[in-house]
Amino acid sequence: MGTQVKDVVIKDDAPSALLLDKHADYIAAYGSKKDDYEYTLSEYLRMSGIYWGLTVMDLMGQLTRMNQQEISDFIKSCQHDCGGISASIGHDPHVLYTLSAVQILSLYDNVNVLDVDKVVEYVRGLQQEDGSFAGDKWGEIDTRFSFCAVATLALLGKLDSINMDKAVEFVLSCMNFDGGFGCRPGSESHAGQIYCCTGFLSITGQLHQVNADLLGWWLCERQLPSGGLNGRPEKLPDVCYSWWVLASLKIIGRIHWIDKSKLRSFILACQDEETGGFADRPGDMVDPFHTLFGVAGLSLLGEGQIKDVNPVLCMPEDVLERLGLHPDLLS
Amino acid sequence: MHGRVKLKSTAQQEEEKRKEREKKLKIYVAARDAIFTKRMEGVLDDEALQLTQQLLSSNPDFATLWNYRREILLHLETVREEDDVQKTYEAELLFLESCLKVNPKSYGSWHHRGWVSARLPRPDWARELGLCDRCLSLDDRNFHCWDYRRMVVKMSGVPVDQELQFTDRLIGSNFSNYSSWHYRSTLLPLLHPESPDPPSPCHQPSHSSPPPSPQTHSHRVCEEQLLKEYELVQNAFFTDPNDQSAWFYYRWLLGRAEREEMISCVFVSREEERVAVAFSRPVNASSSGLMLVLDGQPQRVEWRSVHPHFRHSPVWICELPPGTISDIINEHNLTVHWTEKHTHRDCALYTGRSESWCRDSATDQELFRSELSVEKTSVLQSELQSCNQLLELEPQNKWCLLTIVLLMRALDPLGYERETLSHFQTLKEVDSMRSAYYGDLCSKFMIENTILKMEYAEVRVFSLSDKNLTMLCHLDQLLLVTHINLSCNQLLRLPPQFAMLQCLEVLEADDNTIENLDGLYYLPKLQEVSLKNNQISKLSDLQLLTSCPKLTCLDLRGNPVTQIANIQSELTELLPSVTDLLI
Ligand SMILES: [Zn+2]
Repeated sequence: MGTQVKDVVIKDDAPSALLLDKHADYIAAYGSKKDDYEYTLSEYLRMSGIYWGLTVMDLMGQLTRMNQQEISDFIKSCQHDCGGISASIGHDPHVLYTLSAVQILSLYDNVNVLDVDKVVEYVRGLQQEDGSFAGDKWGEIDTRFSFCAVATLALLGKLDSINMDKAVEFVLSCMNFDGGFGCRPGSESHAGQIYCCTGFLSITGQLHQVNADLLGWWLCERQLPSGGLNGRPEKLPDVCYSWWVLASLKIIGRIHWIDKSKLRSFILACQDEETGGFADRPGDMVDPFHTLFGVAGLSLLGEGQIKDVNPVLCMPEDVLERLGLHPDLLS
Repeated sequence: MHGRVKLKSTAQQEEEKRKEREKKLKIYVAARDAIFTKRMEGVLDDEALQLTQQLLSSNPDFATLWNYRREILLHLETVREEDDVQKTYEAELLFLESCLKVNPKSYGSWHHRGWVSARLPRPDWARELGLCDRCLSLDDRNFHCWDYRRMVVKMSGVPVDQELQFTDRLIGSNFSNYSSWHYRSTLLPLLHPESPDPPSPCHQPSHSSPPPSPQTHSHRVCEEQLLKEYELVQNAFFTDPNDQSAWFYYRWLLGRAEREEMISCVFVSREEERVAVAFSRPVNASSSGLMLVLDGQPQRVEWRSVHPHFRHSPVWICELPPGTISDIINEHNLTVHWTEKHTHRDCALYTGRSESWCRDSATDQELFRSELSVEKTSVLQSELQSCNQLLELEPQNKWCLLTIVLLMRALDPLGYERETLSHFQTLKEVDSMRSAYYGDLCSKFMIENTILKMEYAEVRVFSLSDKNLTMLCHLDQLLLVTHINLSCNQLLRLPPQFAMLQCLEVLEADDNTIENLDGLYYLPKLQEVSLKNNQISKLSDLQLLTSCPKLTCLDLRGNPVTQIANIQSELTELLPSVTDLLI
C-alpha cells in the first residue's frame, strides 16, 4: 500500500560539472537556424524565446555575442498601434510578449526603441474592473498577466498608471488553503502561478500579505529525493519548476528550506554534454527555456561563475541596479 | 518542451528526418502565409476557418490563429440566421474537442472553448460538464479542465453541494488527488459557513463576485461538517499515510481565520518623548489613518516604521514635539486612533512615571494558536489520539509527526514542549532535506513558549539561551522587553525586525554565528551588547551601532573583526560613547 513517489533517478554518469561554454555556444547557435521546422513552429512565442536566450547569455557574461541591432529592429517592428507587442511579425500583441520585449530592451538599456507611452497605455487598458488583467483584448484572465503587467510597468518606471489597490485585491483573492496561488480565484495552487503572484506582491510592496510559513512549507515539499523540484504535489521534477519554486522561496525569504546541494546536482544532471543546454529532466531534449531556468536556478543557489539573478524579474541584478529597481524580498 | 526524451539516431535516420521536416516546413509556412494574407485583406470566410483549423489542430498554442477565428465567428454572427450561428458554434466546439484530445493542456484551446460556450445562442452546459467529467477521468489533475469546470459551474448555476459530491466521488476512487481536496477547500466554506447565517442548501450561484479565497476571507466551516471532514481525511491518511494531499488538507482543516486587526500595544517614553504602537499584523501607518491625540489635542506627528527596510510593519514609532511630555510632574493621556479600522487604544502616563504602556493581555490562544483551531479541546484530543495510533504503525512518517506537533501546540504548548522537541529531532532525521524548515519551525515554537512564560510571569526579561534557535520571529511581541539573552544558539543574524525591541537595554547573544547586525538600529535605550564568539568580520558591520545613543558596553571577543589591525582605535573612533569595550 502507498503512493509511489513520482521522481527520476539520476544516473552515475550524469553531468556534475557546469558546462557554461557549451551552453553559450548552444544559445548562440540556436537563433541561427531560422528555417528549421521546430524553430518556425515556435514563432508564436518568439519574443519570449529571445528573452530566454539573451537573459541566459547575459547571466553567463556573453550578451555581446548576440546581435543587438537585429533584435532591436525586430522588437520595434513587433509593436502595434495599440502599443502592445506581439511575439513576432504578423502575430497579435499580448502582455506576455510585451513584458518579454521590455525585458530584452532593459538588458540593452534601450527601451526607447519602443513608444513607451503607448506600451503603458496598452498595459493600463488590459486592467479589468475587478483589478485583474487580461492577456490581450480577447479577455483571458490569469494572475500571470497581473505579474506581466506590473513587471512591465516597473521596468518602465510607470507603476502608478494602474489601479494598484484593485490589482492587489484580485491577486490576493487567488490565494488558496495551502497558502499558494492559482490562475484565477478558486484555481489550484501551482508553482508557476505562485512565482507570478509572489513576484507581483514583491513589485507592489505587499509581501506581508503572504502567509510565508505556510506557503514556504508547501514550496519546500516540492523537493523530491532526486533533489529536483516539482510544480505541484505528485508531479515529476523539472528544471523550470525548480526555478519557480526556488525564486518564490527566495522572494518570501525561505530559500534555505530546501536542500541546495541536492537541487544543484539535479540541475547539473539536466545538462546535455554533447549539445550544451538544459532539458526539463535528465536525458530529455534541451531547449532555451530550460537553459535559462537551469542557469538562473544555479545563480540563486550561489554559483559563482554566473551573474547574480534577480528572483522577481529573472534578469541580472546588475541590470536592475542600473534601473534603480529593487523589488522587495522578505527576510 | 516537456518530457521529450532524447533519442540516439544514425546519420541516415537523421538525413531522412531532415527531409521530412523540410517538407513539413514548406506546407506549414505556405498555410501560415496564406492565413496572414487573408487576414490582412480582411477576409472573414469559411476557407479561413478551414486553414486555421489545419494549423491549430497540430499547434494549438498559435494564439493569433484563435484570435482570427474569433473575428470570423463574430462576423458570421452578424450575417447568419440564429440556427446557423448555433450550428457554426457547435462545429467549433467539435473541433475544439478534437484539439483537446490531442493537447489537453493548451491554454488557447480552453480559453477559446470558454469563449465559444459563452456566445452560443443556446448553450448546452450539461454537455460541457460532461466533457469535464470525461477529461478529468483521463487526468484528474488537469488544472485547465478544473478551471473550465469552475466556469461552467458558475455560468450554469450548478449547486455547490452537487460539486462537493463530485469531489466525494473523485476522492473516493483515489485519495491521492490534490486537485479534489483543493476544490473541497473552496466549496465547504460556501456550503457550510461557520457564521450564524443559516446555511443555504440550494446555493444561488453568484455571477458577479468571485468565491471567497480560503486564505484571505473568513473560511471556517461549521463544526458538524468539520467533524465529517476529519473523518474523511483520516480515512485517507490511514489508507495511505504517505499521501501528502490529505495531510495538506488536514492542516488547513485544523487552522482558523486570522487574528482580528487591532492595536495591541501603545508604549510611551517620557525621556525620549516617543510613542511606539504595535499592531496585531503588519500595517502601513502612513497610509492607514493613524492619529495620535495627547490630552485631547490631535498631534501632528510623523510615523515611521522601526526600520527603513519595512513599508509594512507591526510596530510604528513617532516623536512628540520637544517638551510636550518631558516634565515628570505632569500627567498625560494619550489615545492612538486607527481610523481605517475604527479602533483606538488609550494610554495614561502618570506623574512621576518615566514610561507607560497599555497592552492587550492576550492569552496564548489569541497570540499563537492562530494557525490552529479553537475547536473543542475534546475534538482535538481525539484527533491527537488517532494520529498517535497511526504513528505507532508508522513511526517514521513525517506527515504524521508534524501533524502531532501541531495538535500538541493547539492543545497545550507548554505541557507538550518536551515531546514536541523530540518529535522535531525525529523529523530532522527522517526528512533531512527539510531539516532547516523543521529547525525554523521549532525555533518559532520555542520563542512562542518563552513569550507565554514571560507573560505568565509578568516580567520584561526574555531568556532563550541554548535552544538551537535558527531564526528569530514574533519580535513585535517583545516591544517592552528590557533584557534579552539569546546566547548559545545557531543564529546567523539579528534581523531588521530586531529594531522592534524599543525598550531593550541589555542584549546577550554570545556563542552564535551572527554575522549581520541589521536589527541594532536606533534602539534608544540599548546600553550593553555582548556578542562574544560570533562571526562579525568587518568594521562596517558595526556601523549601525552608532545609531544607538546609550550604548556604553560592547563585548566583541572571539569575532573575526577583532583581528583587524588598529581595531581598538578604529572602534573608539567609530563608537565614542562606548567606554567599556572588550575585544
Ligand atoms: Zn519545465
